[in-house]
Order: sequence, then structure tokens, then C-alpha cells
Amino acid sequence: MNSIEEQLWNYIDGTSNPEEQKAISLLIEQDEVYRKKYKELLALNAEFSAMELDEPPMAFTYNVMESIRNEHAMQPLKARVDQRIVKGIGLFFGLIISAILIFALASVHWSAPVSGGNTTHFVIPNITKFLSSPIMESFMFFDIVLALYILDVYLRKKNLTKTYTSVQSGGQQK
Amino acid sequence: MQSKLSDTDLIEQTLAGDQSAYAALIKRHQRFVFTLAMRFAKSREDAEEIAQDCFIKAYRSLESFQRQAKFTTWLYSIVYTTAMTTLRKKRIATDSIDDEETFIQVENKPSGYDENNVENKSRSFYLNQAIDQLLPDDATIITLFYKGEQSLEEIAQTMGIEANTVKVKLFRARQRLKDKLERNLKHEAKELI
Repeated sequence: MNSIEEQLWNYIDGTSNPEEQKAISLLIEQDEVYRKKYKELLALNAEFSAMELDEPPMAFTYNVMESIRNEHAMQPLKARVDQRIVKGIGLFFGLIISAILIFALASVHWSAPVSGGNTTHFVIPNITKFLSSPIMESFMFFDIVLALYILDVYLRKKNLTKTYTSVQSGGQQK
Repeated sequence: MQSKLSDTDLIEQTLAGDQSAYAALIKRHQRFVFTLAMRFAKSREDAEEIAQDCFIKAYRSLESFQRQAKFTTWLYSIVYTTAMTTLRKKRIATDSIDDEETFIQVENKPSGYDENNVENKSRSFYLNQAIDQLLPDDATIITLFYKGEQSLEEIAQTMGIEANTVKVKLFRARQRLKDKLERNLKHEAKELI
């Protein structure tokens, strides 16, 4: 059985079930002890609710943001590269290797006679016919995009290092 | 403009690369986070360090924040864990401390109390003084319940305990706070006489 105080706190907080709420409400109306205690706890509840929050220093937000900026600048570049790009490049090269393998295997004359000097006969593909094809053009286009991306990453890295150095030297000057 | 945005909107903007959105989020919650940190720390400097650490940790793992939950519940759980870790590191016993020991510990806390300026002291001063004398867990539950607008379930989530345990702890914490408040006021009345 809960104490009077516990029952009343549950009633004030609204954590007791509807039947209990009703019963306690009736007790407050009829019982002087309950009524007195209820008033006391209600006053305490109001006092606790009016509790004041502590005020952090004025530069708190600035300090946190400065720490985040510094941490961001110090982060190694490889940790900032989007993993989807890395996976995409991996997939691209995987597909090229698979395509070459399939092409090589497809060009093998499996029906060639086993007896005799030559066991298999490879037909070396004529690569020059692919050089002017749309596949080659798109491959070259992809290479250019990749090169531009690497250049962009390099320039960003350079810029970040420059910013970080100036932030560090600025901090030391202070 | 940013003050009108919800926490979730500010999080989305932060994740999109807008750092000023995160600054707005800090401004919105810094007072409560700092107050929670004060419940564990011995000084304002320590509390500032804990609060700062919490916001940096929250920024780092903002992507992992589940939008279904309240941002404040998630943030306060970071504050609670960080503050507890800091306490453990500093080897301050948080449990099994009897009232007398707690009283001695908190008496060293800078409270801004000026004996010559007794008349300026308000009821809220005594309340804050009494909260400072509580154990960190009790003070945290009281603060989360009354100022953090957290339900018993949310407090349970923050502190990593059952909601029923929170209910019992809240009841005990309120009793202790009431006792401390009365004791401090009696002590003050004696001083005045």
C-alpha cells in the first residue's frame, strides 16, 4: 500500500490509474489529512517547477562551434570522401575486368583438337576497332570526370590545410 | 528565422552542411544541458567542459539520430552518459554516499551565497542550494522532470533504467529535496536569530 504522500504525488503527476485518481480526489474532498497534505505538495510542486536554470558563459556556443570547425579541419581527407564514390569506382573496374574475362573466354576455341602441338588457339582481338567506338568515348569521358574529381579533392585539401593553419596561428596570436 | 524552426528541421539543415543551424540548436538547448552538467560537476568550469563535450559528441553522431525519438531525449542521454563517465574518471563516488558526506562535498561548491546579503535571498536560491546538495542522480531526475519537460518513460530512456524505477526514484528525490530545503531554511532562520 502506498503512503499518503506517494498516492498524492501520483495524483498530482497524473500517473495513477483513473480509479485511483477518482478515489484520491474523493479523499482530498472529504479527509482533512489528505487535503492538508495535498495543498502542501501542490505548493512544493509549483516551487520545483519554478526552479531556475543555470546560465552558461556568453561564448559557449562560439566555443563549441570553434571546436567543431577545428576538428573538421583536422579530419583526414580520406575519412571525408563519400563511400558511395569509392564503391562506384570499385564496381566500374570490377565490371571492366569481368567484361575482359568474359570476352577472353568467349574467344577461346574449346573444340580445337587435343592431340598435336597446339592445345588451344587464342584469337587476339583487334583493339583498334574499339578506339573509335562509343564505348571508348564514354570510357575516356569517365576518365576525364575522374581526373577532374581528383583535382577538386586535391584543391579542397589544400584549401582546408590553409584554413586550419590560419585558424591555428590566429589562436596562438591571441 | 532559425529560432522558429523545429529541432528536426535544424538537424536536417546541419546534415546538409549548414553549421549555423547547429549553432541555433546549441543556443536553444545550452541552458538546460549546462544545468544538467552542473548537477554532476563540482564547478562551472567542469560543467562547461561536460556540456561542450556533449554538443561535440552530438554533432559527430547526428546522422545516427533516429527522427522518431525526441531530439532532447537523445541529447540528454548523451549528457547523462558523458557526465557519469566524467564523474567516474574523477573518482567521485555517486552512490552509497550518506547525507552527511554529500553535505560536506557540496558545501565546497561556489553558491554565490553572501552572508551579509541575506535579505536578497529568494526562495529559488534555497531551492537551488538544496538541489546542489542532492546526489547527482536525484538532482538529474528532478531537473529532467520539472525543467526538461520529460515524461517518466523519456527519463527512463535517458538514464537507461525502467520507467517504474524512475517513478520510485522521483518520489524519493522529491522527499530528499523537501527535507534539504526545510533543513536549509531552518538553518538560515537560526542564523538570523
